Amino acid sequence: MTDLFLGLTQEIISGIALGSIYALIALGFTMIFKATEVVNFAQGELMMVGAYVNFFFVTTFLSAAGTPTAWTFLVALGGSMIFSVLFGYILDFIINRPLKDEPIFSVIMATLSLAIIIRAVVAIIAGPISLMPFSPFGDSAISFGTIIVSVLDLSIIGSAIGLVIIFYYIFHYTRWGIAMQATSEDPIAAQLMGIPIKRVYALVWIFSAVVATLSGILLAPRIALLDTTMGFLGLKAFPAAVLGGFGSIPGAIVGGVILGVIETVSMGTLSFHFQWIKEINDIIAWIVLIAVLMIKPDGLFGVEKVKKV
Amino acid sequence: MKRVVGTLIIIGLLAVGCVKRAPAPGVTDTEVLIGNVQDLSGPLKELGAIIPSGSNMYFQYINDQGGVHGRSIKMLIEDHQYNPQKAVAATKKLVEKDQVFCLFQILGTSPCEAIRPILSETGTPLIAPATNSGTMSDLSREAGDLIFHTDTGYDRQGEILVDYILNQNSDAKIGIVYQDDDYGENVLVGIARAEEEHEITVQKESYQRGAIDFKGQTMNLLKGGCTDVIIAGIVREPVTVMKTAEAMNYKPNFFGTGPTVDARVGKLAGSAGEGFTATYWANMWNSDAPGPILYRELCEKYDIPEPYIGLYHYYGFATAQLLVEGLERAGRNPTRKSLVRGLETFKNWDVGSFPPITYNRNDHAGVDKVQLVQMQNGEQVVITDWLE
Repeated sequence: MTDLFLGLTQEIISGIALGSIYALIALGFTMIFKATEVVNFAQGELMMVGAYVNFFFVTTFLSAAGTPTAWTFLVALGGSMIFSVLFGYILDFIINRPLKDEPIFSVIMATLSLAIIIRAVVAIIAGPISLMPFSPFGDSAISFGTIIVSVLDLSIIGSAIGLVIIFYYIFHYTRWGIAMQATSEDPIAAQLMGIPIKRVYALVWIFSAVVATLSGILLAPRIALLDTTMGFLGLKAFPAAVLGGFGSIPGAIVGGVILGVIETVSMGTLSFHFQWIKEINDIIAWIVLIAVLMIKPDGLFGVEKVKKV
Repeated sequence: MKRVVGTLIIIGLLAVGCVKRAPAPGVTDTEVLIGNVQDLSGPLKELGAIIPSGSNMYFQYINDQGGVHGRSIKMLIEDHQYNPQKAVAATKKLVEKDQVFCLFQILGTSPCEAIRPILSETGTPLIAPATNSGTMSDLSREAGDLIFHTDTGYDRQGEILVDYILNQNSDAKIGIVYQDDDYGENVLVGIARAEEEHEITVQKESYQRGAIDFKGQTMNLLKGGCTDVIIAGIVREPVTVMKTAEAMNYKPNFFGTGPTVDARVGKLAGSAGEGFTATYWANMWNSDAPGPILYRELCEKYDIPEPYIGLYHYYGFATAQLLVEGLERAGRNPTRKSLVRGLETFKNWDVGSFPPITYNRNDHAGVDKVQLVQMQNGEQVVITDWLE
């Protein structure tokens, strides 16, 4: 019995770490959706670019400094953040702005093409060989009795919680956040009220690129090999965003964590005791998603939108 | 008289026609065109770049010496992104539009399975498909007579590993973590045979391609008390499973099939990967066999970039040697049929790259044994003879 309990606890903790990764990506989806009602299908690719850029900075500083120190990683992190701000701004400029008055569908299609273009360009620049990313925490882990959590996982969980709190605050309690919400509700009315919606859009894309870069940096060492297929993880985070309620910031983290825990526990304890679970492992997350949407069509934290006719 | 002369002229013309046959597709006086479909932009794009590069190095070496029967070899490469449908389209283009002489080294089990109908319709041979799947040498399948496989099947590899483990420790409890697709299924075929033979049960844990977390599976192996774990993965999976196990203080002996012999597995897994043992069906690229020695010479001669040099690049080189020998044996005026006939004359063919290879009408399997390669102090060391 204690075995079962310990096993489950370990799996749930691992699931929370895995879910936090999904949550970080889902957070990026949510931000852009919240302010522009656009689903950015290139979110996973933004994350991949962030991981590559950070790898570039880390290796450059490493070859300059010789041995890796905390400073190497911090300076690289700073460099990557500056890059992501510029990258987000440029994306807003070339994708979002020219399509501002087009149907939202066109913008979504543009993000799909953006994903393909980013993958191709990164593959051309970085070449076909996968990279071996460095983890600032090495392989260090903390153990509580028999339960083990790696420091990298803890930092992922911590960043997910931290970012959600920060962005929740920004969106709900600052002038810019409220401006973003207003823009999403009705861009024309928002503009008439004096909200600089161009700047609002730029800010949202920058936020989203920053979150994506940060998640890329944290995720890269966890997947052992860095290549352009990392972007496909974005597709796994998409159901997390839907489950939590698309457009809800706490929803992104709750949805991500639920999916992460389901994935780990069903692959682990559940399929150990019930063989048939193994057969449905890959669809179990989708079954939960459909079940939740049947009861709450707007997701767990989604707000039901009523439009006046 | 007129009639006799006329008949003689017709016979004469026919005879000339027979001698001067229409050339086979892809063959000119100066060139043989070979088609290859690789993953250039999908999940295996790394192999898609490295493997054909090894082959091109050997083709260049042969071309520099005057080619095969005076013809230089030229290889066209198309992209399938590891997607069977795209593999079909790319193969059609190579066979119908580019008119290649034969196909070579197409990457991946599913793409190779998908193009079987094109092979049988056009009679185009496929030499050395770059997959370990045992189905490639199954002559009863469509186009089986046109495919010449080099690698030991995944099923054989699984079987040999179980034999080896039980030989070392007859009380071993074996577990396997496998990729839930054609690759994993083929390994399980061998595992099932071994289970029957040794009357044991192997604990099976699966994962989806692209998975990044293996805590659940590793926990289960620990709970099941597995002393020996076989990982039928590629690179990321064995690394993550071994690191996860190390963090849990769970220390079984780890083994791997097929692609896990990649040197990066040990490098990435660090201390957790020490002792990891993988199956390999060719001579090691850095060994002292004649094939690897020539390989390293050519790498130096043609200035191959350092990240390319290694196991997969060598594999491209070694399979190219096999193709070139096949083209030699296909004769001065090769046809697709004469290529097949030429390959079927291989009897313990051995240039020191693969173990001796024999092909005949009833056997297109190539190598059927493996040696075990173990990580020791961060280096890959061959620890066994060839196991059958």
